[in-house]
Amino acid sequence: MTAPALHVENLRVTSREGRVLLDVPLLTLDAGQSLALRGASGAGKSTLLHVLSGLVRPSAGRVIWGAQDIAALTEDARARFRRETLGLIFQDCHLFEELSALGNAGLASAFAPKADRAPIRSAAAQWLAALGLGQAGSRAVDSFSGGERQRIAVARALAGSPPVILADEPTAALDRANADALGADLVRLAAEGGRTLITVTHDAGLAARMGRQITIADGKIVEDSDG
Amino acid sequence: MAEFWASLPPALQDVLFALALIAPGLLAGALVLRGLRPLPLVGAMLRRFVWVNTLFVALIAVSVGLGVGLLAQERGLRQGSARAAEKFDLIVAAPGSEVTVMLASVYLQPSDMALVTGAQYAEIAGAEGVAFAAPIAFGDSYQGAPVVGTTVDFVSHLAGPLAEGRVFATAEEAVAGAYAPVDVGGSFTPAHGHGPGAEGGAHEGFAYAVTGRMAPTGSPWDRALLVPVEGVWAVHGLANGHAPDDSRIGPPFVPEMMPGTPAVLVHATELWGNYALKSRFTRNDLMAFFPGTVLAQLHGLMRDVRSAMSLMAVLTQVLVTLSVLIGLMIMVRLIARSLALLRAIGAPLRFVFAVVWAYSAALILSGAALGLALGWVAARGISAVVTARTDVLVTANLGWPEAHLVAGFISLTLFMALLPAWLAVRRPLLTDLRT
Ligand SMILES: Nc1ncnc2c1ncn2[C@@H]1O[C@H](COP(=O)(O)OP(=O)(O)OP(=O)(O)O)[C@@H](O)[C@H]1O
Ligand SMILES: [Mg+2]
Repeated sequence: MTAPALHVENLRVTSREGRVLLDVPLLTLDAGQSLALRGASGAGKSTLLHVLSGLVRPSAGRVIWGAQDIAALTEDARARFRRETLGLIFQDCHLFEELSALGNAGLASAFAPKADRAPIRSAAAQWLAALGLGQAGSRAVDSFSGGERQRIAVARALAGSPPVILADEPTAALDRANADALGADLVRLAAEGGRTLITVTHDAGLAARMGRQITIADGKIVEDSDG
Repeated sequence: MAEFWASLPPALQDVLFALALIAPGLLAGALVLRGLRPLPLVGAMLRRFVWVNTLFVALIAVSVGLGVGLLAQERGLRQGSARAAEKFDLIVAAPGSEVTVMLASVYLQPSDMALVTGAQYAEIAGAEGVAFAAPIAFGDSYQGAPVVGTTVDFVSHLAGPLAEGRVFATAEEAVAGAYAPVDVGGSFTPAHGHGPGAEGGAHEGFAYAVTGRMAPTGSPWDRALLVPVEGVWAVHGLANGHAPDDSRIGPPFVPEMMPGTPAVLVHATELWGNYALKSRFTRNDLMAFFPGTVLAQLHGLMRDVRSAMSLMAVLTQVLVTLSVLIGLMIMVRLIARSLALLRAIGAPLRFVFAVVWAYSAALILSGAALGLALGWVAARGISAVVTARTDVLVTANLGWPEAHLVAGFISLTLFMALLPAWLAVRRPLLTDLRT
């Protein structure tokens, strides 16, 4: 599957109390582009990522991936979109503590169509190996370090060969050296597969590796390297 | 339809009923799980919260076990008391309470009773269709074991071939019940009366030698000492039913020399002959009854108590079912984060639903299975205690009513487990993901 382009317009997310969390009149991203989302804590970066992945339905506006406005989809259809199109890496990893590293990396095989199950599992093993966790696949994830857990989450996001990867501070828990290594891996893997990559990050080094940088403040885009 | 159902053999009815009860639950399961593979994740969740899960399974197991044990125990008691009465085809006694005579003769719980006279006995024993008529004379005891006077016919009728030794051949010999307190070769002096009020010295100087031991019968007779009725009469200083120079034991007795007996067990040559004999000896000066029928009437009387008990068992089950439901809803909160993760990475709602349902089903099914085992063990234990106390052999085994109870419970709870599963997929995704 080739990566879909992103077209966001008139996007607004308001909290239940009526506070505007996000206000994006227009944002477009070409297929295969990589984008860094930057901004202070509480600026709305995660919220934007959640809207782009369909985890949060916007109060108004359209979020069009390819030709599909996911803001208009039912919850099950959005789940289907995520499973077919997105690889998600969450701000705090979110692993299935009960499962092994391999079980987590290949988690999507539990509900994928039968034909996809084996490919997902072997891809999960390959990504773990590529990220330096090849030996530890059968260990329970609660015995892994923070950085290792983040790499497992990356392997999980990539195992389904998604055309789009959305990552929320994937290197936050890592030391300089490891953060650089994982960031480099992520960018390389995305580029190799022609994937679209959107990453929230406070890490200037990681942001610099991306083709484009956007800064968000108070729910608005205040700076865009593409003009 | 009702006619067709009635025409089926009872065993088939039971099987079909059990299947009909469990089918809705299994069908719901098949529909929920069709094409999905939630079990690896369910296994992981079960391991994760192993203590909570164990507690939950234990709660279900105890409640199912109570219901199962109650039902099995009640039936075992009913069957055991009926089995103990099996050999007592027809009893003839002086008019009075059938229940009193039955308790005295079948279950050896004696009380003072009017006697059947020698003449009446002769008439009964000589009636057409009577294979034998055995006097049953109680009133004495030895170390708490009833000493009962009767005949050789009765001994072999009650317990079949002896397990050991031979039957009594003189008025000073005795046969011990399977668990009676005297061994073959031993001897005993009976006390007059029963229990704490028994007069130990009343029959001083008289002793029975035990010559044989009966096989177990599963009735209070297993603790009894059986002696020739002539012995009982002699011990009490009465005529012994025979001419003074006649040392024979057993019938026929000389009516004028026979002191009388509280009850007579009548065994007919043909089964159907019992009914004719019963009506023949149901009259002003005698009463005749089938202990089995009296027992059935007693059980019938208890039916209200039994239905109250069953109702209580079902009610507890319903309450437990409700707590299972509430418990499951709480459990869903425990796994909410994992479920949110599944939904976030794109699991279909149906899959998440199936995970929650299968998780509940795993708890319910293991609880029910464990409860069945627990109920069986409990019923066994209580049966053993009852048997030890009453000498009525009570064996409580799992039967169809328990299977039906458990099948119904499983179906109902599996159905109810759809509710927490439904609630689980309606939970706010992002909130759960953040917790
Ligand atoms: N459901 C909600 N209701 C009300 N406020 C919310 C809700 N979700 C997020 N917010 C608020 O919206 C703002 C943006 O949150 P968001 O998580 O997007 O920040 P962020 O830029 O990712 O910050 P960080 O760098 O700390 O992760 C925050 O002030 C947050 O408290
Ligand atoms: Mg954030």
